[in-house]
Amino acid sequence: MAGTVIGSGLTVEGELSSDEEVVVHGTVRGALTSSDAISVGADGVVESDVTGSSLTVAGQVTGSVTAQERVDIQAGGRLIGDVKAARLTIADGASFKGNVDMDV
Amino acid sequence: MAQDSVIGPGTVVRGNVHGDGSVRVGGRIEGDLSVSGDVVLEDGSAVLGTVSGAHVSINGSVSGDIRGTTAVVVEAAGRVVGDLSAPQIGIAVGALVRGQVQTDGEPEVASRKATAGKAARPKAKPAPKAAPARKAPKASAKKSKRKTGKRRPPPPVVPALRKGARGKKKKSRRR
Repeated sequence: MAGTVIGSGLTVEGELSSDEEVVVHGTVRGALTSSDAISVGADGVVESDVTGSSLTVAGQVTGSVTAQERVDIQAGGRLIGDVKAARLTIADGASFKGNVDMDV
Repeated sequence: MAQDSVIGPGTVVRGNVHGDGSVRVGGRIEGDLSVSGDVVLEDGSAVLGTVSGAHVSINGSVSGDIRGTTAVVVEAAGRVVGDLSAPQIGIAVGALVRGQVQTDGEPEVASRKATAGKAARPKAKPAPKAAPARKAPKASAKKSKRKTGKRRPPPPVVPALRKGARGKKKKSRRR
């Protein structure tokens, strides 16, 4: 069970920082930071910078992304912004626009 | 459908949280929390801002007003500095509340009336329709009169009268 879940229909207007897993099915407008994994579900929308140990994008992220381990953009996922991570996967059917920096 | 949300114990939100569905908070929200569903503030949680939801249950600390459209319940570990307002309010032994507490029955009563009307009217209406309407128009009129008499709302609250006005009114009534 994930530590923090932003359910669909819920909107966070502001900064969200956590030291546990964060799952976003709703909307976050503000910096999203976690020392654990971050997952943006298919209906999830994040309109800000994202920092986490790893990031999985099945929804929409607009902002630069930093991950200590990896970033996975899944099919249907949409990421607009720069990525800084040791590993990056972009699945077939995902959309991505931005720079990649793998030199962590 | 809006699913349930969880702000875990290791999470801090600096900003407002609003939307549909119910929310369980174990962490900290520095801003307003407003949802259409239920709100549960767990032990160790903190909200610095107003909280509003349907059924609001508080086992953490809140500094801000709390509004529940159904109920507000401050559990034993709850600490509230702010006003409480809901149709139903509960404060457990050991809870700390500093602020105004107001039970306003309007939303609950309105919803009850609406549901009662919805539940009762469809059942009541078909019967008179099925029965011959021309047979007893007087009886139906009487019934309706009785009903209106029974359900007559309480007399309106008379505004405070000025000095001397009351005497004048009494006199006029006597005549």
